[in-house]
Amino acid sequence: MTEWVISLGGTKDVQLIIDGKRTDGRTLDELRAIRIEAGVIPEADGSSYIEWGNNKIVCGVYGPRECIPRHGASPYGATLKCRYMMSPFSSLEEHSRSGPSRRSNELSKVIREALENVLLLGKFPNTQIEIYIDVLQADGGTRTASLTAAAVALANAGIPMKDMVAAVAVGKASETLVVDLNKPEDNLGQSDMPIAMSHRDKNLLLVQMDGLLTKEEISRMLDMVEKSCDEIHEVQADALRRIYKTEQKEPFRW
Amino acid sequence: MEKRIILPGEKIAEGRINAANTFFDGKDTYATAIGTLDTTDRYMALESPYKPVVEDTVVGVITDVRHAGYEVDLNLPNSGFIPTRNVRITLQLGDFVLCKIKLVNEVGDVDLGEVRRLPIGKVLRYPPSKIPRLIGRKSSMIEVLKKYGNGDIMVGNNGYVWISEKNNMPIILKAIGMIKENAHRSGLTDEITNFLKHDGVGD
Repeated sequence: MTEWVISLGGTKDVQLIIDGKRTDGRTLDELRAIRIEAGVIPEADGSSYIEWGNNKIVCGVYGPRECIPRHGASPYGATLKCRYMMSPFSSLEEHSRSGPSRRSNELSKVIREALENVLLLGKFPNTQIEIYIDVLQADGGTRTASLTAAAVALANAGIPMKDMVAAVAVGKASETLVVDLNKPEDNLGQSDMPIAMSHRDKNLLLVQMDGLLTKEEISRMLDMVEKSCDEIHEVQADALRRIYKTEQKEPFRW
Repeated sequence: MEKRIILPGEKIAEGRINAANTFFDGKDTYATAIGTLDTTDRYMALESPYKPVVEDTVVGVITDVRHAGYEVDLNLPNSGFIPTRNVRITLQLGDFVLCKIKLVNEVGDVDLGEVRRLPIGKVLRYPPSKIPRLIGRKSSMIEVLKKYGNGDIMVGNNGYVWISEKNNMPIILKAIGMIKENAHRSGLTDEITNFLKHDGVGD
């Protein structure tokens, strides 16, 4: 097994790209293999399971149902609640300790706020809609994979939404712009920018950034994201359509 | 021709059209839920949460007995209410009831009437958007289930299905599960009849 030297802030010394190929053999704008299944939790109103490279994430959506606690209810629309959590066995790092933490609170918040933009929450006053995201295995880019899975689960639940959402991270590793960073590129690269984009009107719903980037680099990255998000949307659409296929479908396997 | 599956955010018509589960962005109309578009460009949502409508028949469970009436769990964010003046029988906590929606106000409170108590049985949660398939055309599907299960079944628009304990429960539950999974397919009634005939129930 390769041993990675962990150094925050990025370093130019680690060679992450050799002859235009990355550590896992991908080209610069190539996504990892994505597989999405919708409707995997029978008791949930909507659910999805995503395998994005080595990331494995389950997402369940419940609601609209009675808002608890009652004082959290809003007469203007449903309250969206989102809980992102990493399983204790999901990664080797400290942040995979289960339970609420700074990191999981932040990710729950950014995922919720990205989805609030596309959901028509005003149709369900005084209710709540809950999104539960559980990371079973983490390998860099869980927030984007979670957001992608959550959009599928919400569509599967029939919660009215104006648009589908796809998310992907772009960044800079070894002075080169790359799409869909994996763990080594995330930890040892120079910059990382997760972006969520709505499919129809290409609105930016989430932009976070680690490290430094120039204006030109960001505008180039946005073009890369747009292309990648279209690819991800195709996988999402396929997962949702597959539930309603007329021929006999294969039973879902974890 | 096959129906086309529409995803949220997909355009279903130029300009404004009046259909459920759609939204208008000032120029065109888009779908807000996963649904189908048939040859006549009619859009139907495949999944959508239940919205109570007056005159709907619903199945519920009594969750509270009060002086003014009964609170009923209706598979909705808010519970329904049976005012004492709308009911002549005395109900108990945990009773299953079949009633009609008499009033829905703007915040979603539901008033019920025409109450019937249902005997001992089982209440299932079923996706409300797939209820029409469970009933079938001119209630053909429910008749098949009743015939082969040897008991009563009551389907509420709210997504609660009451099954009498007299039914052949394992077979009926399996059949209902099959209808739920294949709700978008055609020729389902024949398929279910075939399944019930061959799966130990007989004619």
